[in-house]
Amino acid sequence: MVNHHIPSSLKEALKILDAHDCYIMAGGTDLMVVKHQRSGLLPNFDKDVCYISNLKELQYIYEDEKGVHIGAGTKYIDIQENNLVPDLLKQIIDELASPNIRNMATLAGNVANASPAGDSIVGLYLLDAKLELVNVHGSRIVPIEDFIFGVRKIHRHKNELIKEIFIPHHDDLNTYWRKVGSRAAESISKVTFAGGYELDDDKVTDLRMAFGSVSVTVVRDREIEKKYIGLTIDEIHEKADEIVEDMEKYITPITDQRSTKEYRLKVSKNILKDFLLSIE
Amino acid sequence: MKIIKFHLNNKPVVVRADPSMRLLDLLRIHLHMTGVKEGCGEGACGACSVLVDGVCYDSCLTPVANIIGKHVVTIEGFRNTKQYRRIADAFADFGASQCGFCTPGMILNTYALLKKNPHPSEEEVRIALSGNLCRCTGYNAIVKAVLEVAEKGGEW
Repeated sequence: MVNHHIPSSLKEALKILDAHDCYIMAGGTDLMVVKHQRSGLLPNFDKDVCYISNLKELQYIYEDEKGVHIGAGTKYIDIQENNLVPDLLKQIIDELASPNIRNMATLAGNVANASPAGDSIVGLYLLDAKLELVNVHGSRIVPIEDFIFGVRKIHRHKNELIKEIFIPHHDDLNTYWRKVGSRAAESISKVTFAGGYELDDDKVTDLRMAFGSVSVTVVRDREIEKKYIGLTIDEIHEKADEIVEDMEKYITPITDQRSTKEYRLKVSKNILKDFLLSIE
Repeated sequence: MKIIKFHLNNKPVVVRADPSMRLLDLLRIHLHMTGVKEGCGEGACGACSVLVDGVCYDSCLTPVANIIGKHVVTIEGFRNTKQYRRIADAFADFGASQCGFCTPGMILNTYALLKKNPHPSEEEVRIALSGNLCRCTGYNAIVKAVLEVAEKGGEW
């Protein structure tokens, strides 16, 4: 027997999650597709569901001296329209799904769903985002790359809920975003890439590269980035092919209904090179 | 089953329903609002669009638990407004509806756009309707109709 829980406060939600193994339903835009059977039939949930979409306590965006805090219940549309949110994330949301979905879906839901093709996750990796997970006992902070560990696999204990996503301030970071899909709206990405860099005169003082849709999770390697931080812009341009070669081991796409692995690899390398040459 | 209370087309509604039921099924099968259309059933076509607190949702992906306490407006409710008349007239003038299956969703998304942005550019119209598919290939006529209503101005 599957039970449906509709808590009216965060506290109540955490008690429910402590007592029952639940699917957590926010906007429903992933879960309702996965669990859909056919017209007129109820979705086939095989365990309890806890609905958090109406919890006002989880709907907020604010900043402090360290960064921006986005409540897990905040819809994409409210993130897109908020001035505190980094441009990279807004740019990603502009191209994400459709207006209706952006009215319903949450950033935290995209993270929890942990699809390798989750566009906003690529931006969160690039921006060093952290998640705050809460349960009845307290909370813990986890960097996003330690939270997602495979295709739709996350390190969430059964009694935990994502409370918020924290994005540190990056006032001097220049960012770059490319999404490759079959059409402008509503496409599930074939390849996504987010890049970032900081400059001090002609010296590259920060360099970041993250790919989506080309591996089981979003990929980013800080060791490779460190190798090239400190070089001049010209040196980065000269070494562009070497950097692409370094990153290539992470670009391990598959062939599926959306694209082929050959196309994805080629396009990924081209986009990375374009990003590196765009640094100026 | 739970008691689900919300407003439908400006009237309070109380139903007993499974909270995971799709809003689309509640509206079409139980409340007979058949102006809400089911196209793809997976959030890709926009035919099932309804207004929820003034913005468009895909009702096929909305569990009824998510609309508790909210105001839902379907094309049946919206058609009694002056705003509907203005949009529908422009759609008729430009031949923006052929088979009509996408039209309720197109009209509700047009209204949601104009309420937020009364003077959209053509690109903004195309973005606002990017989640609404028309299989009679009527996009140009639809976009022209929306730009025409916007041009005429008026309260949204």
